[in-house]
Amino acid sequence: MSEQPGDGRPVAGGSRACRRLFGPVDSEELRRDCDALMAGCLQEARERWNFDFVTETPLEGDFAWERVRGLGLPKLYLSRDDSGGGKWPGASSALLQGTAPEDHVDLSLTCTLVPRPGEPPEGSPGGPGTSQGRKRRQTSMTDFYHSRRRLIFSKRKP
Amino acid sequence: MELLCCEVDPVRRAVRDQNLLQDDRVLQNLLTIEERYLPQCSYFKCVQKDIQPYMRRMVATWMLEVCEEQKCEEEVFPLAMNYLDRFLAGVPTPKSHLQLLGAVCMFLASKLKETIPLTAEKLCIYTDNSIKPQELLEWELVVLGKLKWNLAAVTPHDFIEHILRKLPQQREKQSLIRKHAHTFIALCATDFKFAMYPPSMIATGSVGAAICGLQQDEEVSSLTCDALTELLAKITNTDVDCLKACQEQIEAVLLNSLQQYRQDQRDGSKSEDELDQASTPTDVRDIDL
Repeated sequence: MSEQPGDGRPVAGGSRACRRLFGPVDSEELRRDCDALMAGCLQEARERWNFDFVTETPLEGDFAWERVRGLGLPKLYLSRDDSGGGKWPGASSALLQGTAPEDHVDLSLTCTLVPRPGEPPEGSPGGPGTSQGRKRRQTSMTDFYHSRRRLIFSKRKP
Repeated sequence: MELLCCEVDPVRRAVRDQNLLQDDRVLQNLLTIEERYLPQCSYFKCVQKDIQPYMRRMVATWMLEVCEEQKCEEEVFPLAMNYLDRFLAGVPTPKSHLQLLGAVCMFLASKLKETIPLTAEKLCIYTDNSIKPQELLEWELVVLGKLKWNLAAVTPHDFIEHILRKLPQQREKQSLIRKHAHTFIALCATDFKFAMYPPSMIATGSVGAAICGLQQDEEVSSLTCDALTELLAKITNTDVDCLKACQEQIEAVLLNSLQQYRQDQRDGSKSEDELDQASTPTDVRDIDL
């Protein structure tokens, strides 16, 4: 059995709850839909953050991306072999599965919101609590890459 | 030499935090944020082409059976249904993917709420191995992305203790009222007409239905049903008439469910074993309305 040890909640043999509800499932179709939906998510994130998460390159847009080095990240985040991961299309796996290349430190990026021309520049940069509106959005990068944001931003202080 | 061997419940639960329950800000914050976690639209009309309301009921019934058989925490099932509804409100899905989606939602909800979560392998067994663990894990990411990783949704369960605390009732009846209210919440989660209702209304209606149902046999509250509804409405800032309507709907769903159960019981063709797996959660079968 593939039960995890210590679970204590085995599936009762012949349980009536073990049943398929809507006939056969087409694995190929599942894979196609899964890839299409993941691609959609990536595209959304790309537009949201003007960053190509597949090639790990910044794009034109509201955010200025810069490399951050020497964050002292736990090894867990730095590299992982591909063994456990699925066969994800392209390099998106680096981000989505945490299966990053060896030099993950170099991939750690930080972004700041660039003021649009015509907008008044931010007053007193770095002043606590003064950053309003658009600037604040910098820290709200939670939509998609929640854990990654924490990984980058929470390590910036030291 | 005598040896005593006992099994210890492996799940450790935290005690109810009185600091959280007695602070009214917690309830007010829950009421403020609950709308964020409702599905964006009534998706059978505007998003889904293949999936019909009866299919949602089928997958919900199956999910409830799995959660009950696996003795999941009560919150897991309604939370999983919240994920399912929010996903379906945004993504047109063929019916052949629906069971996988249900499994993924249970997988996520169980991880969020349980100390020992359901495993991917186990959930696949429950689909009669129609999906593979790897597929479940891949779709987990899809669902997470579509839900924007917002998993800590407000559920009706979040309100129950806050509501019970404010009702005048005998303390010894409280656990029975709570148990029945939980059953009503599960029942509501299986029925699409409650999917767009704010969780606070479902919680309030469930507590109301539980107390009024129990009231017929014995005194569990010093209030009449009408007075109770008014008090409940005040607690969660719900409109009294909306709440009454909601409570009536809950009672109707229960009645329907019980009739279905009795119908099944009359059908001699069904074995006792099958009856045990009927879609009505076990505790409500002895309620009379």
